[in-house]
This record gives sequence, C-alpha cells and structure tokens, in this order.
Amino acid sequence: MPSGGDVEKLEHLVHGYLKGKIGRREFVLGGLQLGLSLAVLTRLTAPARAANLVESAPEVPYESPITKERIDFLKTKPFKGTTINVMVLKATVGDGLKYHVPHWEEETGGKVNVAEVPIETLHQQIFSDLASGLGRYDTYMTGAWFYGDFFVPETPYIIEIDSFLADPRYPYWDPDQWLPSMRKLYEWNGKLYGVLFDGDAQALYFRKDIFADGQNNEKFKAKYGYELPSPPKTMKELHDAAEFFTGWDWNKDGGNDWGLALHAKVNEQGFFHFLSLSAPYVISPDNKYYFFNPQNMKPLINSEGHLRALEDYIKLAGAGPREEISWTLGQGWNLFLAGHSAMEPTWGDLPTLAQDPKTSKVKGKVGAAGIPGTTEAFNPITGQWKKYEFNQVGNSNGGSWHCVISRNSKKREATYDFLAFMANKKNAFFNSANGWTGVQPGMKFEYLPPVGTASLDEFKAQNWDPDDVVEYLKGYYSVLSAPVQEEYLRIPGTAEYWHELDVNISAVLGGQMQPKAALDATAAAWEKITERYGREKQKALYQASFA
Amino acid sequence: MKAMHGRPAEYGAVFKYVLLLPAVLWVVAFTFAPLIFVIRYSFANYVLGMGITGYIGLQNYADVLASDRFWHSIMVTAIYVAVSVPVEVVLGFIAAWLVNLGAPWARGFRTIIGMPLFTMEVAIGYLGVTLFSSQGGLVTAVLELAGIEVPWLSTPSGGIAAAILLDIWRWTSFVFIIVLAGLSSISSDLYDAAILDARNHWQVMWRLGIPLAWPVTTIAILLRIIEGLKVFAIPYALTTGGPGTSTEVFSAMDYLTTVQFFNFGQGSAMGIIFLIMVAALITVFFKQMRKRLG
Repeated sequence: MPSGGDVEKLEHLVHGYLKGKIGRREFVLGGLQLGLSLAVLTRLTAPARAANLVESAPEVPYESPITKERIDFLKTKPFKGTTINVMVLKATVGDGLKYHVPHWEEETGGKVNVAEVPIETLHQQIFSDLASGLGRYDTYMTGAWFYGDFFVPETPYIIEIDSFLADPRYPYWDPDQWLPSMRKLYEWNGKLYGVLFDGDAQALYFRKDIFADGQNNEKFKAKYGYELPSPPKTMKELHDAAEFFTGWDWNKDGGNDWGLALHAKVNEQGFFHFLSLSAPYVISPDNKYYFFNPQNMKPLINSEGHLRALEDYIKLAGAGPREEISWTLGQGWNLFLAGHSAMEPTWGDLPTLAQDPKTSKVKGKVGAAGIPGTTEAFNPITGQWKKYEFNQVGNSNGGSWHCVISRNSKKREATYDFLAFMANKKNAFFNSANGWTGVQPGMKFEYLPPVGTASLDEFKAQNWDPDDVVEYLKGYYSVLSAPVQEEYLRIPGTAEYWHELDVNISAVLGGQMQPKAALDATAAAWEKITERYGREKQKALYQASFA
Repeated sequence: MKAMHGRPAEYGAVFKYVLLLPAVLWVVAFTFAPLIFVIRYSFANYVLGMGITGYIGLQNYADVLASDRFWHSIMVTAIYVAVSVPVEVVLGFIAAWLVNLGAPWARGFRTIIGMPLFTMEVAIGYLGVTLFSSQGGLVTAVLELAGIEVPWLSTPSGGIAAAILLDIWRWTSFVFIIVLAGLSSISSDLYDAAILDARNHWQVMWRLGIPLAWPVTTIAILLRIIEGLKVFAIPYALTTGGPGTSTEVFSAMDYLTTVQFFNFGQGSAMGIIFLIMVAALITVFFKQMRKRLG
C-alpha cells in the first residue's frame, strides 16, 4: 500500500517525465525506488501519453496518431548517422517491413540495412548470431514459436520493451489494443518483448458464390442427403464438401477443379494446416493440452485423437492436386486465387491477396469462417472420447511474424524507434489491409464494430470489396476470440519439435509411412528433444504457458 | 646475419620450417582443431543457449546408430552416388574421347560443357524447382507434350531422380575435363598404330583409350565419389529432403541436426560415424585401384 508521500513522489515523477524535465533513466530509477515494476510504470504513463496525442501533424506524414513530444523529437533528426541492421524473413512479411524503411529514414535521419533470410534457415541464422555473440543484427523478425529459445540463457537473448513504451518521444502505439490471444505471443512471463507487426491465425476460406449456387446445392443434396453447408461447420461437412467439389468443372472453365487447397512442402509451414485441422479432435472444453502431458512432459501427439485427425487429414489432402505435397505456401494460395479450389484453410493473407485483380479471380467471392469443429473429441490426458454437441476450437497458429531486439544491440533506441514506427496505427492498419505485406490483424483498431473501431471506408480506401472484408474480419475474429483455443507451443526447442512433426506428416502424405507409425515416430523424437533440453525445465515452462 | 652467412645449411633447415609454418597453422586451425571439437561434442549433451550441459558417454553414437532416419539418409546418399557417378563418368569419358578425336565442333563444345561447373550448386537446385515444377516447369511441360507425366517433386523417386539429373548436368563436365587431360597425354603414335589394327574408333577407345586413361579416370571417379557423398545443396534446394525424409541425403540431415537445431552432440556423432564409413570406403577403393594398376 503506497503512502501519501509516495503517491506525491510518483505524480511528480510521471509529470516530470512527460513534460521532459527528467530523462527516461531517471524516471525508471525513480519508479523502481518506489517499488514499481517497469510494466506498472508503463501503464501509469500510458493515459498521459494518450492525453498528449494529436491525430496527425503535417510535418510527420507517416505517423498517426502522434504525441507532441514525438513531433519535437523528430525535428532534431534524432538518428542521423545511426544505422541499424535488421534480419527479416524472405517472404511477404519481409516485403512489408521493407516498405516502411524509406519513410522512417526520411523522418529520423537513421538508416536501416535489411537482410532477408529464407524460412528454412531463419531460426539458424538468428540463433547463430545470438549464440556466437557476434551481434551483427540489432533486431530479428521472429516466428512466435522461436520464443522459448530466446529465454534459455540466464540473461535472455532479447530485451523487454516496456521502458521504451513509456517514452512519448517514440512512435505511439498501444499494446492494450491487442486481442488477448495475440498479445500472448508477443510476451514472455507477462513482459512485453515483441513489437506489433503480424497477427496470425488459420481460418477456413471458401467460395461463397459456388457454395450459394442452387444447382450445386441440389447435386450435393442428392449425393449426401443434406443441404450444401455454407460454410461447412463440422469436419464431416468439410470432408463432404471437399469431396463434392473435387474432380469436376464447377467453375466452367473447361478443366477439372478441386475441393480444398493445401500446401505441404516439408520444412515449410504446411504442418500448421495439420495443427489447425486436428485441434478439435483433441482440444475441447475438457482438455486444453495438445502437445504434452503437463505432469510429465510425455508427448500426447500419438493419441487416438491425433491419429484420427491425421487419417482424416490424408483424406482432405486428396481433395487437392497430388503435387500439393511439394507446394510452398504461395503455390497453395494460387490454386484458390486462380479460382480452382472451393476452400482453403489458411492465414488471412488469402482474402487480402484476393483483393488484387492482378493475381486473383475471386475478389468479392470470398467467404470466411472458423476451422470446422467436431462432435467428438479425445481427451489424451484421461484417454477417453467424449461427445459434444459442437466442439469448435480457435487458434493463433502461424508465425505472427514480428521483430524483437537483440540484447547485443548497441543501437536499441533507434531500433525500437523503427519497430514502433511500423506499429503506429497508420502503418499497422496499412499492413493488415494490404495482402502483399503478409500482415494480419491482431489489434482492435483493425476490426469493424462492434468488436473493433475500424470503418468500412478505411478498407474500401485500400481497394477491399466491402462484402469480402466484412466476412473476413468476422471469420478471423471468431478464430482468435473463440472460447476454446488451441495452445501455441513456445517452449525451447519448439522449432525442432515441430520439424519432427512436419517431416513425419509429410512422410504420411508421400506414402512413406503409415499414420500410426508416423505419430509414434514423432512422439519418440519429441522424447529425445525433451531429454536433451531437460525434462523438468521444459515441464515448468510448458506449465507456465498455461498459467 | 653473421651467423647465417657462416652456417647456410643450418639456416636452410630452419627456413624450410618457417615456410611450412603457415600451411601447418592452417591445417591445425581449420582441420585438427575442429576435429577435436567435434570429437568432444560427440560425447556431450549440447543445448542452444546453455552450451554443453553434461557428458553422456556413447549415448549420441547409440542414438544415431539406432535412428532409422540416419540409415535412410545414408541409403539415399548411396543411391545418389551409385547412380550419378557412373553416368557422369560414362558421359564425361565419351565426350572427352570425341573431343580428343578433333571433331570440328570440339572447340565450342569444350567451352559450353564446362559452364555448369561455374554455377553455384544451390542455384542449380532452385533452378530445378522451376524446371521440374508441376505448374509449368519446362521439363514437365516438354514431357507432357510427349504424353509423359512425371510427378517429379511430389514423389520420393521423382524427387531423387530430378536431383540426380541436375547433378549429372553439373558434374559431367568435371569428369570430361580430367579425362580429356589424360587422353591428350597419350602419344599420337599409339592412336595411329591402333587405328590401323581396329575396325572403328569405338574399338580404339575400348582397347586403347580406356586402359591408358584409366589411372586418371580413377582419380575423377574417386573425387566424384567423395564429392557425391558430401552432396547437399542440389537435393536440399530442390526438395528440402521431402516428401517426408525420402530425398534427405546425409549432409542435409547432419545440417538440420547440427546447424538448424543446434544439437551439436548428436550432429557431431553423426559426422564421426560418417567419416569412418567414408574412410573405409575410400581405403577399399584405393586398394582395388592399386591392384588394378599393378
């Protein structure tokens, strides 16, 4: 309980800091002397920072809203002569980051060097730089599943950003705008390390025009005995619809079309399809554990529920071209965008890319929904199947690609400034509304009312079809805010755990292994990884991830 | 200076060691020291961010030897070498023989055939993705015109076949250059005499060219086997080892284990085991070669 004197001191401290009378270091030290954590200090200053906000400033065209302190700060060209080195994923998200570089350089006088690294070597490149202590990069674009590895050393490889957030001279962005399921992926033990960029989740996208077609409905009903579900809500409906739309010319272009597009090239991101589609076979209101038993860190991946999910996944893969097994993410999307696939369970890039008539034939025809659910789920902890009226599971699967700052960086201020610049509402909204940036919405201001504060006009200004954006945001939000969520694995070694799952699923799809053998092999490999990292340490971190 | 002038023999003895020193330092720094580190790591449990967390005896070796994935990668590598090297040797030898005959197209051909050697292997691998892609790949499209459908990158056999074809394209010229050098050193008198006795040039090649160029050809074979066993960039860039691990060569598996996931312990054990296997193979090869060469 703080005394009256302490409160007075605190008020003095906060006011002094916000008016620029005391520096950040003095502010933080003063706060710590009063027994306050950085997180608390950040929260104390947030309302005051917001009070100093203006909607825009003509001399700062690339930020909105902006604080008065920031406007003054930029007048000094604060990072003139400073060069920061950024490692990004060589993909759309990397392009998204590069787009903002010249704007930030123009505003601050700083310089940004961007190194692009393909996904198959990104983890290695990041951790080689960190573990060797070379510190060639100030910041890295990380997948959320690399997080655990940052925290293996006693002093984490990356730094907290709370103290920067409290400083009104940096670009304004508000972490309280995050949807809770997304914010978790940027934090570790309740502390913020990542700066807003991407917000991934997998939803089901479908051709609403094809599903609404009366003739298709009649044909479907004749074959399956019930109305064509638009969209499919259960796994059975998904399978029936995928099978129905496979192998005939429903788009009337002279060639046969497909029911469902996937991408399944090994060492890519295809395993996320399985993680999302298998979740409702295992996760339920009665079980939140998908990967490990939290009591002993024994793998659950070869449970009966996972096995049934994999067997069904193989059938679903049959509703797309055989070559999907060697397809990268973009190749999978192309099938849907070219109008040859009725459905695709994937990230929000798809409906966003669909808005570009140069690459898409499906603008205005894209529906979105949550990943279909089940009516029965296996609880791998109790070893029992249980019936449910409808068991749908949300997810935040994907990279949620964003940058973290290296502990070896000597230019932390400039680095944070650049990252926060991209997190500023104006730039963040631009990212999430344009498919080529690879960025999906994770903040409330990127959603339409009643859940968010964006307006349809803002999306129309970015060339969105109004129906598509309404459907997309509704479907995407339903995935991220579903009451039952699939866990996101972030313990050390996650990249390796998921790699083992990836190669074994690919082996099943390629006919190299049977599903049971593949899942057993995955479980055995996971045991070895757990042993190497230390079972007790892994268990504690795994349990903490559910706290 | 006085002493040096007075004792030139002694100075010479010291000076030759001084000249050797850079090479010795290089070998110690970049061959022996890493090997010692690898041996040490192979007995250790290594974790990213923590380093060596303990020594576990032969556990890493036991795990590697019990791993189906390890043996599968050895098998894929063996198939890769067993198919690509003989084809490269045969094609390279025939091309060298024809060029050595002095055909009018020889000069231009000699330049063109050497070009793949100057191309990076990883670039060839990525080029292969374009050539063998099911969505408009050049090779796929040409074969489809002839009514042949090959699922190059979506099946284990198609993936390894595509990688081998690219390897043959890349390395045939290497065999060609070495064999051509060997054939060029054979006296023209011998050719002239042989042509008088033989029915055609192929008979000359069979009876004269191959036996006389055999020593240099075995060097080409040996170098290709060693390089083939280390193959990484072409198959990995082409298929990343998939579907599953069906096209995963040994180097790719060791790379993933050691470099991608920082499991230095097991990766080192893998490397040592493979080193022993390759050393045994090369020893047998040398013994056979010595026997044949008398």
